Amino acid sequence: MSERLTRTLLAQAFGVLVAASAGLAQAQSSPEALEWLRKIYQATHDLSYIGTFVYQQGNHSETSRITRLADVKGNIEKLEVLDGVPREIVRTDDAVRCYLPKSRTVKVDRRSNHRGFPTLLQGEIGALAENYTVTMGDSGRVAGYPCEAIVLAPRDSLRYGYKLCADAATGMLLKAVTFDEKGETVEQFTFTQLSIGNVSRDKLRPPATRKWHVEDAEVAPVNLEQSGWTIDADLPGFRKVVEVTRTLHNSRPVGQVVYTDGLAAVSVFIEPVAPGDKPVQTGVASVGAINIYTREVADHLVTVVGEAPAASVQRIAEAVKYRQPH
Amino acid sequence: MKAKISAWMDGELDKHELPEPLKVLARDPEALECWRIYHVIGDAMHDCRMLSAAFGSRMAERLASEPTIVAPGRSTPWTERGKWLSLSAAASVAAVALVGWLALAPREATRPPAGPVVLAPQKAAPAQTAVADVKPRPPAKIPLPSATNDYLLAHQAYSPRITLQGMAPYVRTVSDEAVGSASR
Repeated sequence: MSERLTRTLLAQAFGVLVAASAGLAQAQSSPEALEWLRKIYQATHDLSYIGTFVYQQGNHSETSRITRLADVKGNIEKLEVLDGVPREIVRTDDAVRCYLPKSRTVKVDRRSNHRGFPTLLQGEIGALAENYTVTMGDSGRVAGYPCEAIVLAPRDSLRYGYKLCADAATGMLLKAVTFDEKGETVEQFTFTQLSIGNVSRDKLRPPATRKWHVEDAEVAPVNLEQSGWTIDADLPGFRKVVEVTRTLHNSRPVGQVVYTDGLAAVSVFIEPVAPGDKPVQTGVASVGAINIYTREVADHLVTVVGEAPAASVQRIAEAVKYRQPH
Repeated sequence: MKAKISAWMDGELDKHELPEPLKVLARDPEALECWRIYHVIGDAMHDCRMLSAAFGSRMAERLASEPTIVAPGRSTPWTERGKWLSLSAAASVAAVALVGWLALAPREATRPPAGPVVLAPQKAAPAQTAVADVKPRPPAKIPLPSATNDYLLAHQAYSPRITLQGMAPYVRTVSDEAVGSASR
């Protein structure tokens, strides 16, 4: 067979394959599994609970206590790390406060309406199903609760996969495993003890912070393109949800753009390199499922932080461009 | 058109026939996609190594940022000039090869580069499935930035995962306080 004929035939076969696999993939998510995702979302929002969970990544594991109260006076949630250096994070409806007793510092990250907080609402579960195949896994038991398993298999290598185990009765998420394209665990959260309902407000008191140093982040919406920055990432399935400037460490103004595929999120931070700063190293570092890619563009430090494989984070980082605005 | 593209690839078109397929590629994304697939298949048949996904845009970026040399320095020794001549010949070949890879990553190019690269359209080339599966070279491993915890705290507030899992993922924010504050 001549090379040209082979090429033409292969090109046709390629087209048919792409079309067929796209059709098949769309059809695979199970309605039951999507309904379970909705139940988990609802439970996370509605339930009060107190429990202990273990976070594992690589050889590292750490135990934390989480307490949540949902009532008409507003929701409040507290995370206390029980191993190593003590630290607490408290989330209320308007802010996240991170208490670091060792350095007597409180870091405040305020939430407000203009920030367009992305939520996993019922409508968005459909969008999520475009990027993951959502199916039921084997049921089992976690922390004494019988549970149902939901598997989110990524449709491409741009994102990780997830296995979630939820309490069969309430939908409370008891275990979450993130896995890479080889099926190997990247990180996991597992409750070892949990009691649902009956949480008193006393248990959610923040630590006393008189004379502590407060780092309060100011956040404002912005259009980075007007100042010459573009990010033409073209990463299938990820869309831009947030574009703000904020203060970060040492009150320097930093631009932040957030992309999400319905479950995973990737943030791009852009900040000027100050004279005297260490030279910017280009490359990737990771914490569990979070990859952090840094590079320098036009005398600015670009830091891309995302719960996505290194290659995806790198692609977004490499798409950051600067052109002098007219 | 496909037959013509195929013949062109095999070097069977005469010089005067060339402008037509070139023009078609510049305005018709479908023809460009066909050209791209033919080349991918050709490369696969010849066991050519794949270039990284962003190769085209990176190459275009570097070309664009290189100063245009209007009059080369007089002091250049002849031997060096010979080297540059052959290098520039190689660059022309690379520029032609580049067109295909720009089509793979069309939206990554900042501005239309000069010369033969004009072929690459600014938009179009619906090669998303292919783009998704082409992996760039693994990046260099570097230590965590000293401000990692600040970035994580700012990032996680926007992750939809929080609405599915509550605050548990914030444990990553603080699991390394030593890294975050000691070095600042």
